[in-house]
Amino acid sequence: MERIVGIDLGTTNSLIAYTHEDTPRVLADAHTGSSLLPSVVSFLPDGSALVGQPAVEREAAHPLTTLRSVKRFMGLGMEHVSDEDRRRYAFARDAGEENKQALVRFAVHDRSCTPPEISAALLRTLRERAEAALHEPINKVVITVPAYFNDSQRQATKDAGRLAGLEVIRLVNEPTAASLAYGLDKREEGLIAVYDFGGGTFDISLLRLRTGIFEVVATNGDTRLGGDDIDQRIAQRFVLDELAEELWADPRVLSRAQAAARAAKQTLSTHRQASLSLSLPDRGEFERSLSRRELEAAVDDIIARTLLPCRQALRDAGVAAADIDAVVLVGGSTRMPLVRQRVAEFFGRPPLTDLDPDEVVALGAAIQADTLSGRRKDMLLLDVVPLSLGIETMGGVMSQLLERNTTIPAMVKEMFTTAVDDQTAVEVHVLQGERELARDCRSLARFTIPIEPQPAGVPRVEVAFMIDANGILNVSAIDLRTGRERSVDVKPSYGLNDEEIEQLLEESIDYAEEDFNRRLLIEARVEADTILNATEKTLRDNAAALQEGEADRIGAAVKALQEATVGRDSDRIRELSEALSEATEPFARRIMDTSIQAALADKRVSEV
Amino acid sequence: MLCWHCHSEGLVTAFCPRCEAIQPLPAQLDYFRVLGLERNLRLDEAALSSRYYALSRRLHPDLYQTASAQEQEASLTNSALVNRAYRTLRDPVQRGVYWLELHGEKLGTNNNRVPPQLASVVFSVQEQLEELRDARRAGREAEVDSALTGLQTQLKERLAGVQAALVRHFSDWQNQKGESSSLPPGNGQDDSSLKGESSALLAELKSVLSELAYLRTLLRDVEKETGISWNA
Repeated sequence: MERIVGIDLGTTNSLIAYTHEDTPRVLADAHTGSSLLPSVVSFLPDGSALVGQPAVEREAAHPLTTLRSVKRFMGLGMEHVSDEDRRRYAFARDAGEENKQALVRFAVHDRSCTPPEISAALLRTLRERAEAALHEPINKVVITVPAYFNDSQRQATKDAGRLAGLEVIRLVNEPTAASLAYGLDKREEGLIAVYDFGGGTFDISLLRLRTGIFEVVATNGDTRLGGDDIDQRIAQRFVLDELAEELWADPRVLSRAQAAARAAKQTLSTHRQASLSLSLPDRGEFERSLSRRELEAAVDDIIARTLLPCRQALRDAGVAAADIDAVVLVGGSTRMPLVRQRVAEFFGRPPLTDLDPDEVVALGAAIQADTLSGRRKDMLLLDVVPLSLGIETMGGVMSQLLERNTTIPAMVKEMFTTAVDDQTAVEVHVLQGERELARDCRSLARFTIPIEPQPAGVPRVEVAFMIDANGILNVSAIDLRTGRERSVDVKPSYGLNDEEIEQLLEESIDYAEEDFNRRLLIEARVEADTILNATEKTLRDNAAALQEGEADRIGAAVKALQEATVGRDSDRIRELSEALSEATEPFARRIMDTSIQAALADKRVSEV
Repeated sequence: MLCWHCHSEGLVTAFCPRCEAIQPLPAQLDYFRVLGLERNLRLDEAALSSRYYALSRRLHPDLYQTASAQEQEASLTNSALVNRAYRTLRDPVQRGVYWLELHGEKLGTNNNRVPPQLASVVFSVQEQLEELRDARRAGREAEVDSALTGLQTQLKERLAGVQAALVRHFSDWQNQKGESSSLPPGNGQDDSSLKGESSALLAELKSVLSELAYLRTLLRDVEKETGISWNA
C-alpha cells in the first residue's frame, strides 16, 4: 500500500501530515522546526524562487515579486480582481486589460505566473519536507480545500497538484477534515459545528457524528473572507489613513503596513495593547500603539459577516443553534478573542479551543488519506456539494438539478424539451450557484446536443449529472428519440486546460531534473540511514571490542553523516556514508574475527 | 442479474449473497428496495437511517480506492443511488410524491398554482412582504426583522400542522390497505396503478402534499427577505 499524505494548502500557511499507527502527525521543517510553511513565494530575478520563511524575509524589500495569499485567486478570473487587489499585486497586463474573462495571472519579472503554479511551488516544498522526514518518495496526496470552493477553485487546486508532479487522490473539505481529527480525538457523538475562519476563507459546516460515520448535513461560507481582510482594515485605518496619500501607491508601504497590522493583530490576541511599527522608505519610522478595544471596534463588521453563512447553514440543516452539541474552531483567525466571543454568543455556548486551530485540518487530511490508501477501515466520511448545480432553461432561468448540501456521490436525471418548433440542437449550459437567474450563477460548461427536428415540446432530452466522491461533476445529455449522446467532464471557465498544464510541465525541464535529483537524494538518505542504524547497533552490542581512539573517529563520522542527511546534497551524503563505512571497517572485521573464533572455540569444546 | 464475480443468479442486492462481491444495482430498482425496505408510505425513520448508514459503510467509493475499475464503478453508482433513495424517502413530502409516481400518479406539475385551501394565507403573506419591503426602504430595519421572524414562526407552525396531517394520511392509507399495501416483489416496472383505490383518499393525500410543498416555497420566500446574502 503506497503511502498517501495529507496537505493543508492554506491561504497563510500550509502544512503536511501523515499517519503513523492510526495517529496523525504533522511534519515540521528540518531547519525552522515549525510545522507551518508560510504560503509565500518570492521570485528572484534569475527566475528561481524562494518558498516559505525565506520568501517572507524577502517580502519587505521586494513586495511585488513576493506573492502571498494566492489561494484567494485560485480558479478565478480577472473580473473578480478588486481595486484593492490591484494595489497589492502586479497582474499580468496581457490577460487583464483585453479579456476580463481570462484567468488571473501575476506579473513576475519578465513572465507571468498563475495561482496554481505558485501553489505548486508550495506543494513541492512540502513534498520535499515529507520525503526528507519519512525517507520515502511521496507521490500521492490528499489536499484540503475550503468547503465553499466552487468547481473552478477545486479544479485549480488539482491543477496545482499535477504541476507539482503529485497525484491528488482526493480533495477534502477543510471543516470536514477538521471534524475527523476532532471526532477521533474526542470520540464524541452528536451534532457539531465547525467554524473555520482562516487567512482568506470562511467556512461553516454542520456535521452529525456517530460511531465511525462523519456526515456533513450542511455547509456554507465565503471564499473571499478571512484574516487578510482584518489585516487590510487595520493597515488602512491605523496606518495608511495617517500617512500622506502619495505613500499609498508605494507597494513597499502597503506590504509593510499589512505585515505590521498582522503582527499587531496577533499580539492583541493575548495582550491588551500592541504597537504598530514599520519603516517607511526614505521617511523614517512609523509607530503608534493600538489597543484591543480599538482593533475590535474597527473589525467587528468583518467578523459579523461570518454569522450570515452560519445562520444559513443552520436553516439548511433544519436545526437551531441550541441543537448544536459542540462548536469547534479552526483557522488562525479564531485566535482573536472577539471572534470567540461572537461565536459563543451566536451558538449560545463557548467554543472548544483545545485543538491547535492551525494543525487540525492537516491532521484530518492525513486521517482521510489513511482511509483512502486502504490502511484504515473504521471510519467513513459522507460529504456534500456546497453549491447547487443545474442548467439554464427558458428565459435565462437556472433550473436546479442538484440542491446544495446533497450527499456525494450523487446522480440525477431530468427530462427537458424544446420551446421552438424544429430545433435541430439543444444547448446545455451547466450552472453552479443559488441565484435564480443563470447570469447570476457561475457558468461551468456549455455543450450542444443535436436533436431530431420536432414541434416544440415534443423532443425528449435527458440530462444527467453525476458527481463523484471528489465533488467533480460529469454531465451528459441524450436525445431519447435518436439515442444520440453527448457527455462532458466539466472543465472550469477559469482553469488551465490540459495543453497548458502539459506545456507548463514541459517548460519546467528543471523540474524533471529536480525530480531526478530528488530520487537520488532519497536513495542516498535511505542508504545513509541503513549504515547509521547498523553502526549504532554494532557499537551497542560490541562496545568492548572498540580500540583506543576508534570511538571518537566513528562518532565524528556518524555526526557528519547525520548532519548531511538533513541537507539536500546527495553526493555529500554518499561520500560521508562511504567514510563512515571505512571508519567502522577495522572494527567490524575484528568483531567478525572474534565471533568466528568463538564459533570455532565452541566447536572445539563440543568435540571434546 | 448475474454476479460478475461468482456468476450466482438472480441478484437484486448490492452484494452477491454468495461471494459478497459488490454488484451494480439495477438502475430501475425503486428507492424502497434500494434501501431494503417495504414499499410503504409510513416508514420507520430510525430503520431507514440505520439501513442507509449500514449500506454506506459497505458501498462508499472511499472504501474501493484500491479495488478494480469494475468494483469502483459499482461502488460509485450504488452510492449515488443509495444517497438519492435516502434523500427522497427521509422527507415525507418527497416520499409521498415519489410514492405517487411509482403508482403512476402525478401530484400535478404546476407548482405555481396556489392550493385553494392556502389562498388566503398566500395572499396575506404576499401583502405583508410588500409592506415590509416598503418599511425596509424607509429604513425601519428593526421593525422589519421582528415582523419577518413573526411571519416565519406563523408559517412554520402551519407547516408543522400540515406535516402531522400528512403522517396521519400515510397511516390511514396503510390501515385501509393493510400493512403489506405494497406491490408484489419484482424489478420495478410493475403494473400497480391506484385507479381502483378510494379516489377520495387519494385526492386528499395529493391535496395535503401540494399544500405542504407550497408552504415550503412560501417559507423560503420569506426567508429570502431576511437578508441572507448569497455568494453568486
